[in-house]
Amino acid sequence: MTRIAEERTGTAAVTPPPRLPRRRRNWRGLLFVAPAAIYVAATVVYPLLYNITQSFFDVGMREVTQGGAAFVGLDNYADQFGRPEFWHSLRVSLVYAFGTVAVTFLLGLGLALIFRRFYRGRNILRAVVLIAWVLPTVVSANVWRWLLDGSYGLLNAVLNTLGLVEGDVFWLGRPTTAVIAVILATAWSFGPLAMILLSAGMEGISPTLYEAARIDGASPWQQFRRLTLPLLRPVSLTVILLIFIFTFKTFDTIFLMTGGGPGGATETLPVYAYNEAFAFSRFDTAAVATVVLMVVPIVLSFVYFRAIRSEERA
Amino acid sequence: MSAVAVVPARIRRQRRWLAVSGLVVTIVYLIPVYWMLNTSFKEAGDIFAVPPDLVPLPPTVASYVDAVFSDADIARGLVNSGIIAIGTTLVTLLIALPAAYGLARLQIPLLPVILMLFLIVQMVPSVNLALPMFVLFSSAGLVNSYVGLIIANCALAIPLAVTILRPYYLSVPTEVVEAAKIDGCNEFTAFWRVALPMSRPGMVTVTVISFLGAWGEFVFGLALATDDAIQPITVVLSEITNAYGVRWNDLMAVSAVIALPVIATFIFLQRYVVAGLTEGATKT
Repeated sequence: MTRIAEERTGTAAVTPPPRLPRRRRNWRGLLFVAPAAIYVAATVVYPLLYNITQSFFDVGMREVTQGGAAFVGLDNYADQFGRPEFWHSLRVSLVYAFGTVAVTFLLGLGLALIFRRFYRGRNILRAVVLIAWVLPTVVSANVWRWLLDGSYGLLNAVLNTLGLVEGDVFWLGRPTTAVIAVILATAWSFGPLAMILLSAGMEGISPTLYEAARIDGASPWQQFRRLTLPLLRPVSLTVILLIFIFTFKTFDTIFLMTGGGPGGATETLPVYAYNEAFAFSRFDTAAVATVVLMVVPIVLSFVYFRAIRSEERA
Repeated sequence: MSAVAVVPARIRRQRRWLAVSGLVVTIVYLIPVYWMLNTSFKEAGDIFAVPPDLVPLPPTVASYVDAVFSDADIARGLVNSGIIAIGTTLVTLLIALPAAYGLARLQIPLLPVILMLFLIVQMVPSVNLALPMFVLFSSAGLVNSYVGLIIANCALAIPLAVTILRPYYLSVPTEVVEAAKIDGCNEFTAFWRVALPMSRPGMVTVTVISFLGAWGEFVFGLALATDDAIQPITVVLSEITNAYGVRWNDLMAVSAVIALPVIATFIFLQRYVVAGLTEGATKT
């Protein structure tokens, strides 16, 4: 704001009459914002801080209903960091997030390229794909469970017909395939979001660059490799960070598809924290897990906002 | 000089090829959605056919009649979700509209701090809120209440709504607001009579997104509504999943009914939904 004002006065040949100082703060204007700010402080910031304090107390179901939790210092942290299940779920979370980011990015890029050139009906097709993204997670998770069903699922029917597998394969019942399945299901939902962002990025690339490349004899692949991809870097960074944050905090897809199973193979940190609290009534150690869970997205969002700032300045 | 731009045959061929591949990709991408609808219109016995029927012939609405509309739990879940989503939308509009205006148009103090706050909270995992909320709501008597669920949903909806709305108010020219003030409007009436009507597209977007967000919300419902009577349809669906076992046609019918308002709104208000969701996801 102030920068624009400075630029204006700097370039203006005729000095405008002096106006009210731009920096004047409108305290009454705070009344407009106060309800929202207080609401967010009370329902987001306070619970988050409260959650952090919980992680230093001994909180079970009795303490939740009757109060009187005892301070235990760092015991809960020591307990969690000493538990292999905790580290396991952190590892699963990272595998899940990185895997989903990779698949989502490729899906989004592929879709964006398919819908890049104009033809009649393109906009409708591109809009229809977005249904995958707006579908409620409970719905898509259940549909994927059905598609991947070992006995009557569509995937097995197709693979059996093609002769790629023999008989029933319980994709969600084996550790490795279950992880791959939840990654693919999540990426399926996020793919169209990546597509929109990458499409917008592609539209920002000047067509003259491609003309120049064509004149220089660059093949379509070379144009893609040497022009499109490098020029999409800023948008790609946005997509990668956003999808990572979104995936890292995803709870419902996994909870509904596998419940964290089989044998904890897909138990990501959010699922682990939820189970600690609601399956085992260990609200204190659950708090520890959610504190860790929060650190990663917050650090990444700072990275994201910094990246965007410097992008905008450039 | 010919006035008519003739598309060369090469380009036309290329376009046709692109159109075909675009169509094929779209169809393949949406197979899961088709399979949900396909299964939901099948007879109970037909879902076990090997290989499965690609078209439900003859289609039957038995699953919708029996599983969805004759089941009291499902009906109640749908009503609960409706109440929660409408409540969330109203509260969100009430709080987010003036806030977005204030953050866009008034030189309020602490602007960067407040903006940052609204952005960061959108990155917070729902589970991180659901756990402390359960503990706090337990002592406040808000577990298993519509009020509690609406409060929780608004915690996500309001920051998103403010982020989506702020650019709409930024695009309202300062001159218009200033002129209104010269004509005798105060800060509030300038907002109410001038800026608000000018931001109608943004309001539609926020209404749709808040409603759909609360309609599809799962984590808060799961953690904060342990009582069947208050559970949203998303939680009801997850609870009947085991009871249904292999009654996939019924399960898909329930899923389709949950998805219906989302897909319908999306088709009719696509422009608003897409604009809002991408803005909310990326705007700084």
